[in-house]
Amino acid sequence: MKIIGPRVVEAYVGEYASGKSEVAVNRAVDLAAIGRRVTLVDLDIVEPCYTLRPIKRELQQEGINVLAWETKDTIGLGEAGNVLRAENRWALRRSGDIVLDIGYGVEGAKTLNLLEGAGTDPDLKIYVVINIARPVTGSVMDIVDYIRELGKVHGIINNSHLGEDTDVDIVQQGALMVEAAARQLQLPVVATTAITKIAALIGPVDMAGHPVKKLNRYMPRTFW
Amino acid sequence: MPEKPIQGEKRVFMTGNEVVARAAVAAEAEIMYGYPITPQNEIMHYWTRMLPKYGLRFLQTEDELSAGFTTTGGVLAGRRAFTATAGPGNTLMQEPLSMAEAMRLPVVVIVQQRGGPSTATVIYSQQEVTMTTLGGNGEGLRVVYSTATHQDLYDYTIKAFNTAWKYRFPTFVLGDGYQAKMRESLTMYDPALRGIAMVPTEPYVGRAGMPGVDREPTLLRNTYNVEEELFEVLEQYIADYDKVAPEIAEYDAFATEDAELTVISHGVVSRACKEAVKELREDGYKVGYFRPITLRPLPVDQLRDVAGQAKQLLVVESANGQLDRLIKEAIYGSTAEMLSMFKPGVGITTEEVVARVKEIKDPARSDKLRVLH
Repeated sequence: MKIIGPRVVEAYVGEYASGKSEVAVNRAVDLAAIGRRVTLVDLDIVEPCYTLRPIKRELQQEGINVLAWETKDTIGLGEAGNVLRAENRWALRRSGDIVLDIGYGVEGAKTLNLLEGAGTDPDLKIYVVINIARPVTGSVMDIVDYIRELGKVHGIINNSHLGEDTDVDIVQQGALMVEAAARQLQLPVVATTAITKIAALIGPVDMAGHPVKKLNRYMPRTFW
Repeated sequence: MPEKPIQGEKRVFMTGNEVVARAAVAAEAEIMYGYPITPQNEIMHYWTRMLPKYGLRFLQTEDELSAGFTTTGGVLAGRRAFTATAGPGNTLMQEPLSMAEAMRLPVVVIVQQRGGPSTATVIYSQQEVTMTTLGGNGEGLRVVYSTATHQDLYDYTIKAFNTAWKYRFPTFVLGDGYQAKMRESLTMYDPALRGIAMVPTEPYVGRAGMPGVDREPTLLRNTYNVEEELFEVLEQYIADYDKVAPEIAEYDAFATEDAELTVISHGVVSRACKEAVKELREDGYKVGYFRPITLRPLPVDQLRDVAGQAKQLLVVESANGQLDRLIKEAIYGSTAEMLSMFKPGVGITTEEVVARVKEIKDPARSDKLRVLH
């Protein structure tokens, strides 16, 4: 049975290695798991070295409609320019929930402009994913500057981590810094995200009172 | 005075290209010259993003020939200058880098290897070893550090500037597309806090004083009239290089003392080999691990020791024998059996290395396993 409710339309933007794709994939999986119809759209046309291509089939088996290139359909990947798939361009016109995984940085965020209806879709929420272990977003001031540069943003996700070396401390520090930045920007912090093991150690809310969401790791399998 | 790019130490997480850009800033590099090519683009992206904050400079040239030559120009003016490239860009850069060898210019080049020959793939390979160590029309009077981790990229990018300016040979940091793009944690630090002083730079041209009166005239040449003139200069350069080579050479090794077979690899492939050797040791195989960190000059004495100890050497690389050729030259005369695992342009996993060693060590068992499959 499909749940009828408000349409979820979310775009995830952020820096390289912020974890935006991981957060986007997990969001799509979670939505599909509760029976919602979800389309996950790969919009990384900046430089697609980590893309959804390698896990496209796996995600489709979880009931997600994935709009992404197949490797065999591309020529000179990363070199000959990246073409926006026609289907992806019109993704916002689809019914059901839409999760958009956007390329990195300001140039990545501009990709949204290529989407039909991006400027007018009443449901579209743009969330920026922040990892304080990345020097570009390593201090409250840097986070504020970074998010201001991105243009329109509706909320922030604290996804602070150190890859394999992630501990509770970095996630909690991230929660406090993202909270401070969010106040300056007058933006909500939507959630703190962390791998299941760390999320379990933190509990349902982090130090700054944000809900904690568990992440399953998909992206390590997606290199090129 | 702009703030210091890194104060104290900090555990961070990022892509290899960003590591290089940040290490260059930490090493007090002043200017980068470059032309875009995947997979090194983000070195330029991050360098240019940091420009205003730290008062740095950047020049995008029309191609890699120009990027290489303008880098030599920056160095001639006494700037701590560098460039970054890959694949066909590295090919073009061999011409300006030959000039840097001819003039003993401390140019620093970061190479993120991609598939070859030609445009091939933007992704990964270890196929730029021959070109980076011995490219250009000359004698390979250069230093090449092959990195394996993001920590290496940070450490050796800083070190490359000091090696270049101390010894006055062009210095390369040889990474690859995997290292460029993958995300990994590392510790960034202010070099001064680790006792690393940056070797001061000085201009080659436009020095104070009247040449021939107040100081020796500067004579920068990459062209000579007769063979003897060239020979005399090269003899001196080669003697200088041979003298400092043992000081510069670096390696990493373990379990080689009693090894019957030693696995030799470099760069990112050495990560797979390291794990493979650990696993094989646990299974009772007498295997050793050797990784030259400098591919030019090679740690020749240590390689010869290893070749003298082990009966077999297994060279593993994402190229068709480019490291293997260098190793064979270094250990010439050794009776160790040379074995190989070459996968040009393709990554190599721990499991594959373990399987290859087992295939060598227990051929019968491997055959049986194959039948079972």
